[in-house]
This record gives sequence, C-alpha cells and structure tokens, in this order.
Amino acid sequence: MPGGAVLALLLLLGGCAAPLQSARLLDTPPAELSLAAELTEVPFFPQERYQCGPAALATVLTWSGAEASPEDLLSEVYLPQRRGSLQAELSAASRHHGRVPYVLEPDVQAVLAEVQAGHPVVVLLNLGLSWYPRWHYAVVVGFDLRRDLLIMRSGTERRDVISLETFEWTWRRAGRWAMVVMPPAELPRTARELPYLQAVLPFEQAGAWETAGTAYAAAWRQWPESVGAAMGLGNSEYNRGDYAAAAETFRRLLASHPGFAPALNNLALSLAQSGDLAAAEHYAAEAVAAGGAQREVYAETLREIHARMGR
Amino acid sequence: MNMKRGVMRGIGGVVLMTLTMLGLQTPACAGLVGTGAVIAQQQAAIDRGQLSAALSREDVRQQLVAMGVDPQAAQERIAALSDQELQAVAGHVQELPAGGDILGVAVFIFLVLLITDILGFTHVFPFVKKTVH
Repeated sequence: MPGGAVLALLLLLGGCAAPLQSARLLDTPPAELSLAAELTEVPFFPQERYQCGPAALATVLTWSGAEASPEDLLSEVYLPQRRGSLQAELSAASRHHGRVPYVLEPDVQAVLAEVQAGHPVVVLLNLGLSWYPRWHYAVVVGFDLRRDLLIMRSGTERRDVISLETFEWTWRRAGRWAMVVMPPAELPRTARELPYLQAVLPFEQAGAWETAGTAYAAAWRQWPESVGAAMGLGNSEYNRGDYAAAAETFRRLLASHPGFAPALNNLALSLAQSGDLAAAEHYAAEAVAAGGAQREVYAETLREIHARMGR
Repeated sequence: MNMKRGVMRGIGGVVLMTLTMLGLQTPACAGLVGTGAVIAQQQAAIDRGQLSAALSREDVRQQLVAMGVDPQAAQERIAALSDQELQAVAGHVQELPAGGDILGVAVFIFLVLLITDILGFTHVFPFVKKTVH
C-alpha cells in the first residue's frame, strides 16, 4: 500500500498510539500462562440479528450450570430501540440467575488466564472504528500464543478465530471490558478481594442470602484474612435464620481479629437470637467498650438485650 | 420482637453502606453491622460524586421504557441492578455501548472497514480472514 494511504488510514483510526499488550505476551509469554488452551465444551448459541448480548450471556450462564436460552434472556437484557444490550444489565441478569458476575482487569493477560483456568470470558468489542462503532459481545473460549490466535463464540460463528492483535484493537476500542460469570462456590482465577466482595454484595440487596453466603465462604477460604468475607458470611447465615452458624462464624473472625467491634455486635445479636442472653450481653458490652464509628449501634444492641433480660 | 426488628434494620446495612458512600449521615440504630459498611471501611477511595440511588432508579426505569422495554419487565430490570450498575447506566442509556450487530454500512464506510479489516484493526466482515502467521 502506498505510504499516503497508510497515513490516511492511521488518521482514520485515530488515537491508537499505545503499544498493544498482546505484542508483549507473544514476544515473551509469561511463565504462569500456558501457550494454548481451548474450552471446547462451552456451548454455542448462534445469535439472532442484533441479539449478541442475550446469546453471549446464555453461553456463559449455561456453561456455569444455570440453564438459560437467549430467548429467555431477551426480556432481561435487550433494549429494542438500541438494538443491543448494556454491560450493566448483563451483570445484573447474571445475578438474577444466581451467578456472580466479575469484571476483569483491563488486561489481555487476565482474559487469557481466566480461559486457561476453564472460565469462558464475555467481552465487549467495537468491531468498527472509534468514530463508527459497531458494538458486539462475544465469548472468548481459547487462545494459542504460538500461532497468535484467539478463539471466540461470536455471532453466527461457533469458532471465530482471529489474531490476538485484532482482538486487542477491537477490545480496546470498546474500553477493555471483560466479565466472567461464576458459580458462587468458585472464584475467578484473577479475582482480587475487594472487587470480588463488591461483586457479591448486591446479592444481599436482593435478599439472596444463600448465594451470598456461598460466595462469601469461598472468598474467606481464598483470603483467610478478609474481614469483609467473614462478616458477609456471618450476616448471610444470620439473615437466613441460622443463628448458630452465624455465631460460630463471628467467633472465628474474632479469633483472628480480637476486639473487632462490628463482629462483637453481630455475635451478640446471633447469641441473643439463639436464646443465650448472658453471652449476648457479654459481647455487646465488649462492642460498646471497643467503640468506633458504629458505637451508637452497639449501645442500642446492648439496650435491647437488657430489655429482653427484663432489666 | 425487638431482635427481629434489629434484623430488619440489619438488612438495611447495604442501604447504610450506600448512604455512607454518598457521604451522608445515617441515624444510629441497633442491628447487624452490614457487610457493606465493613467493606466500605476497607476501601480506600470512594467516589462521592454519585447520584441518589432512589432518584436514578426511576430515571433509568423511564429510559428503559423509552427504549422499548415492556413496563413490567423494566420494573424488574431496574430492581436487578446494583447501585454501582445503576450509576453506570443512569442518564446514559442512549449513548452507552450496546452490543448489537453490523448492518447498514454505507459504501465509503464499507471500503474503509474492508481495508482496516484486512489490516487487522477491525473485525467487521466475517469473510475477511487473514492468513495466520
């Protein structure tokens, strides 16, 4: 191609100066990443016109063991006038089906690491140009660094094979958004503590305490020092009425974090629900003594326990 | 009975976290300290520029209906959104990327995209398959 045409093209493409992450991955593959992986058992739902969102979501939900067809998901994620689906609605719908949506780091390596761990990854792509966007959802199911390949369930193609660079150009123009949809007992390979806990928290809002509890328990196993995971587990057990289990969880948390006032307060309430008012009073008093931002909550807890004791 | 009421307020822990995140004062009440409050404390930076969740929920519902979603389904869909997702969507239903499909490409655009497809910058046309090195 003549130089002028190349220049004109670069101008059309615009703003794509930063080097590609995939170039580094192909040059020097990281030791922790295998050279190739493909999840052949991930199902495929060829999309109807415009409906790549429901198709991509059905693909990962079905892989995760939550049966859902693209037709089922239309009413949950499709916007008729926009002829497409929003990212936020894909994650919300995942929760609705009892799966934890986790948005990955904006890094090609994170996408490949999840695939290698056996988790298909939903990605948003801009197949067109920044000034002429063609938004599209696909599911990454494989890669081969030796041959510079990325494999996706995409549109009407069961096995759409493109180069890593083409993937990255199209992914980057869509803001590098990637998401895994996990059964609550399993963590994403690249999960970090706080983002993961925040992905679980909305289950509480929806009153899905069973799912929340399972996910918090998995997080606590992964991050034994995580106060948030332990509190989440205890609160989930409490809210589904299992006060004995909740008390045990708060006790375990206190063993590693002695004097942690929110756990003392919640332990006191769990014990009070189990009828052990004397022990409840003891821990509520400890919470009050520990004080902190929520000290008025602790004081109220102690007052209520005293009221139940007839004092 | 008091305890039961405490639990109900405990469920409101998430709401409390949202209010905390918004930098608003919350009245003191007995009950479980919510998971959200603990997580929020762990978090270093919290975006305080967020809108009121209650206001934007109705706003988003109306936008979904305007985008052709059945009113009943729209109600369920906004209920499913977390506060974070709601903030991402509020006011942007029109312009946020909505994954769809490729159609109606004009001739000029077609040529541009054809060339960029061949170069591997774009991936619009399935019939453009580059040789793999």
